[in-house]
Amino acid sequence: MYNSLTRLQNVFGFFTTVAFVVGAIIAASDFTAPRTPSASIKPTNVQVVKGRPHYYSSKKEEYAIIKFSLDADLSSLFTWNTKQLFVYVTAEWPAVDGGANQTNKAVIWDAIITSPSSDHLANIGPATLKKLRKSAAGKSIDPNRGKLSLKNQRPKYQITHPSGKVAKTDDVTLRVHYNVQPWVGALTWNQDVDFAMWKKMGQGISKAFSLPAIKKKDETKGR
Amino acid sequence: MLSSLQNPRQAAAQLLNFALILSTAFMMWKGLSIAADSPSPIVVVLSGSMEPAFQRGDLLFLWNRNLLAETDIGEVVVYNVKGKDIPIVHRVVRKFGLGEHAKLLTKGDNNAADDTELYARGQDYLERRDIIGSVVGYIPFVGYVTIMLSEHPWLKTVMLGIMGLLVLQYAILFEADRDSYDVRIVIALSPKYE
Repeated sequence: MYNSLTRLQNVFGFFTTVAFVVGAIIAASDFTAPRTPSASIKPTNVQVVKGRPHYYSSKKEEYAIIKFSLDADLSSLFTWNTKQLFVYVTAEWPAVDGGANQTNKAVIWDAIITSPSSDHLANIGPATLKKLRKSAAGKSIDPNRGKLSLKNQRPKYQITHPSGKVAKTDDVTLRVHYNVQPWVGALTWNQDVDFAMWKKMGQGISKAFSLPAIKKKDETKGR
Repeated sequence: MLSSLQNPRQAAAQLLNFALILSTAFMMWKGLSIAADSPSPIVVVLSGSMEPAFQRGDLLFLWNRNLLAETDIGEVVVYNVKGKDIPIVHRVVRKFGLGEHAKLLTKGDNNAADDTELYARGQDYLERRDIIGSVVGYIPFVGYVTIMLSEHPWLKTVMLGIMGLLVLQYAILFEADRDSYDVRIVIALSPKYE
């Protein structure tokens, strides 16, 4: 009954049990860290151009290019259990024909902000990684990375609508969102209401604006 | 170890015990499946398209009910492509419309382009019914065993051999520590997804 194999099995069984309990405690510790995120965003330059979804397509669609300025303080989201923060900006506008509730949402810009503990996992070149490591030398948590200040930022994604029409759309708003990816535990997103020690996102939504008419080709070329 | 074979009553009890453990694990899996309304509430990540959030071998917990809100932009979802049997874990980046026929577009955080290329021919967007769950919980690395087992089939043979030899001992151990073994079996049975 008590041979080496049974002992080994007992040790392994105990190890996994302890590992799961420790993991659960770490996951639960998220709720003890206050979150007070805030952000302000505004569009700075909005254009609509005609283009194709990909090189071989003959379909012409309208694409909105929304440049924006963003100031955000998401530093409280970085704790010992934060693996990365996924920050994304969406453009949202109501549907033309589908009633008040029909909305359209599209991500125009996103960023992955890694914790110093997960820098090695990021998809970046060795030089950028070295720089990133240096910026947080000696720190296992770096809340400063949660402070964003972007001026007239170009969008990463040019957005369109399944109908191919976005020009002259009214009531477009920009909204800042985040998703906290933990090392272990529950994934969390920005909230619309306060939850215990986690406050809802302060601001983080722009004033409504309209997309302009399609920009003429000769205007862009300056001819 | 083999002494129990001489006593048929004891051997039968152990066999029953072993069957009980396996069926409890299966019931836990199916129970979780009903609670989450998803065909597979726990999945193992197979590819690096969501790095650095998810690595190969990480365990994801899925939830497929829309109790408070609809599946929205920014959520990480597991979806099936029409006519293909490769479920994929990616993030929703565009949503047009509301309800079950809302058009959803997904993209892997680590990929440069969105998933239009991955979808079926003629399919430009996903619908809610293509999605089998949104990721709500995460445990790193634990699912790596299943990847090892599927990528090195000889390991499976070795493990089955060892388990066959130890079935009787396992039965004794399971008796003492049934609950935690159930969890491990559920993890070992969970499918592996891109």
